[in-house]
Amino acid sequence: MLFQTWIFLPFFLVAYAVYLALKRTRFGNLWILIASYVFYGWFHPLFLLLIAYSTTIDYFLTALMAKSRRPRLWLTLSIVNSLGLLSFFKYGNFITLKLNDLLLALGGSHIIEMPGLLFPVGISFYLFKSIGYVIDCYRGEVEREKNFIRHAVFVSFFPILVMGPIERAQNLFRQLRDTPRITAPDVADGLSLFLVGLFKKLALADYLGLYVDKIYDAPADHQAPALMLATFAFTWQIYFDFGGYTDMARGLARMMGFRIMLNFHHPYLADGLGDFWRRWHISLSSWFRDYLYIPLGGNRKGNFATYRNLFLTMLLSGLWHAGLGHGATLTFVVWGVVHGLGLMLTRKLERSPFYRDKIPRIIKQMAVFIFVAFAWIFFRAAGLDDAGLIIARIFSAGWADPQFPLLMVFLIFALWLYQFAVESRIRRFVNIAPVRVGAVVFMILYLTLFASSGVRSFIYMQF
Amino acid sequence: MPHSSHEIRLSPREWIITLVIIAGLFYLIPVGWQRLESLETNPDYRIPYELSSDYWLFSRYCRSVCAADKMPVIGDSVIWGQYVKPDQTLTHYLNELAGADLYANLGVDGTHPMVLAGLIEYYGKAIKDKDVILHLNLLWMTSPRADLQIEKEFAFNHPRLAPQFIPPIPCYTASVSEKIGIIMERRVPFFSWLNHLHRAYYDNQNLQNWTLENPYACPFAPVTFELIPPGGRERQKPIPWTEKTAAPQAFPWVEPDTSLQWQAFLRLVKTLQKRNNRLFIIVGPFNEHMLDDQSRKTYTAIKNKVETCLQEKNLPCYLPPPLPPSLYADASHPLPAGYAQLAHQLFELLNR
Repeated sequence: MLFQTWIFLPFFLVAYAVYLALKRTRFGNLWILIASYVFYGWFHPLFLLLIAYSTTIDYFLTALMAKSRRPRLWLTLSIVNSLGLLSFFKYGNFITLKLNDLLLALGGSHIIEMPGLLFPVGISFYLFKSIGYVIDCYRGEVEREKNFIRHAVFVSFFPILVMGPIERAQNLFRQLRDTPRITAPDVADGLSLFLVGLFKKLALADYLGLYVDKIYDAPADHQAPALMLATFAFTWQIYFDFGGYTDMARGLARMMGFRIMLNFHHPYLADGLGDFWRRWHISLSSWFRDYLYIPLGGNRKGNFATYRNLFLTMLLSGLWHAGLGHGATLTFVVWGVVHGLGLMLTRKLERSPFYRDKIPRIIKQMAVFIFVAFAWIFFRAAGLDDAGLIIARIFSAGWADPQFPLLMVFLIFALWLYQFAVESRIRRFVNIAPVRVGAVVFMILYLTLFASSGVRSFIYMQF
Repeated sequence: MPHSSHEIRLSPREWIITLVIIAGLFYLIPVGWQRLESLETNPDYRIPYELSSDYWLFSRYCRSVCAADKMPVIGDSVIWGQYVKPDQTLTHYLNELAGADLYANLGVDGTHPMVLAGLIEYYGKAIKDKDVILHLNLLWMTSPRADLQIEKEFAFNHPRLAPQFIPPIPCYTASVSEKIGIIMERRVPFFSWLNHLHRAYYDNQNLQNWTLENPYACPFAPVTFELIPPGGRERQKPIPWTEKTAAPQAFPWVEPDTSLQWQAFLRLVKTLQKRNNRLFIIVGPFNEHMLDDQSRKTYTAIKNKVETCLQEKNLPCYLPPPLPPSLYADASHPLPAGYAQLAHQLFELLNR
């Protein structure tokens, strides 16, 4: 069940109305759990077995960890279990494919059957959330949740189940334990977030996706301008797609009285690659920072270790994106490597007084934007061959009319200006009530009049 | 830390103002549109074939017909006139015989009873307190597929008019979300107007898709407020069926007792009666000449059952005898002379 589909409307109205009636009773969390399982089971009922299994295992392993004198054993078991599940579903087909290639290369004739797995949407997001919780318990940073229902709601809370944000245990459990107080401003803020997210998804991401698909599906048929524009269009598409989902998720949670962490903060205004990763997919970046980069030593063990840790973190981030469902998984690894190298090469530069003080911010922002857009080529291309072809054609192919719709240019330009405006001194002019009401009326009318009626799923749902 | 990236926040009071503005616009836009976009209906007007799925236009045309106090003639492409020009349809000949513009062609291509019931229920609300001629084409009972009984999904005509949940249609497997969207379109005139906008001006695409094909055109340029004219040509060449195929056909007919289409037709009758309309039903004339002996026997039995059922419900009906073979274009569509002949029979009966 996707937020932007009609079925979600009656689902949420019923779930919300009952929740409002029950939230002060001991059945409030139970109701969220039921709603979350209905929401998730709508994708495929079998997915429920997996999430129930993962929830139960981690519940008991954290209990054992709390009582045991060897908590590390239970921590390891939990992490192995979660990563094993993730690997099995994400990489099962990929590994089989590569093994078959290897067998054939070695002259073998036996072909291993492809597992043909049904990929459980959102598995990475809830497993990462769960891993974070188990590690926090182990570290003593968060108290073990003894109430099974509350623990299950933490794992499966439906607004953030499928694509995050990967909320931290401390924040979500605190809110699950207190009775949420829902005020009119909460509902208004939630609605605002949801509408902006819906606009980002349907009016922007899906629209840009039409052009991106057209060009990236046949890169050899297009010249440099079209390939460049499609790359920039994808740069915005993926942000609006993922950011749109996050806004909707946070909006729904807010209407239910929950405050979920920010996941995007104007990432394309970043003036350095480090800054970009502090603004992009914040919940995952900070997850990698807290549970991988820092345990590896972070930047405390000298330059070599710092660079190694940066690179490893980005490589693993690339590997996380790789996996089942996208045949050419290596493109995601390359994308991670490109970012890893970028972070390594610019780390010193970004900290230098020259870069900080002498180079105009707009130039730095443009440079980061272009680098990030370049890296997205690997993320979006159907394979490494296609990525190579696109890059080669951008720099060598002739010039031809890219047939890029003017309406897209207008929308992108308007949003580019808007993001500058909200971070600048003219924010107060943008922020006056008639402008905001006018903008919301425009968004609603645009969505109904112009936006696509077809349903494109979210890019990050495949991860 | 901001509320979100690219944030816009409204207070509860501002949300109320916004929703009032949106509700007003949703109401006013379709109403205002009718003033800007002229619907010129001459006596032989029929919904342009290209706009067969533009139900907002149909509902507008219904209102215009009823306001002019004409008698709506409702049915599928047999009434619309698949193989004939607008001035060769059944309603044209009826008007000619009446010597006045009394009958209106409300036929829509492809509207089998299952969807015709939806068309009238949701978009034909203006038809009330009227004398109505309703056509039943038994073609839709010639096979389990035509009757929509088969389990295998296939694309039948006008799914947006079909019952979405109850009664279930075995071959209709749209997602629940799509079905809810369709129900919204039926209930909220703004959404059916939106569909009109896409169909009438944007080649049946939404605007975003349209801009991909016309990247440098102004997105509002196609909106000329001028509807596609009905066109003076036949939809298909008027060639007698005898010149196309002569082999007798054996149809796997569906009995009325088990027919989904027949049940739908009865629902349609009930809807029209509830609106205080006086109905006159024409069944056929089906092209019996193309049937083999067994199939003709079954057809006759079905026709008799249908007639009995209609009589039991005190519904005036007419089951015309088959037209001469050369006056049919296919299994159910007459050619111009066929319509003229049928109109004569019908007019005589209506004025008896």
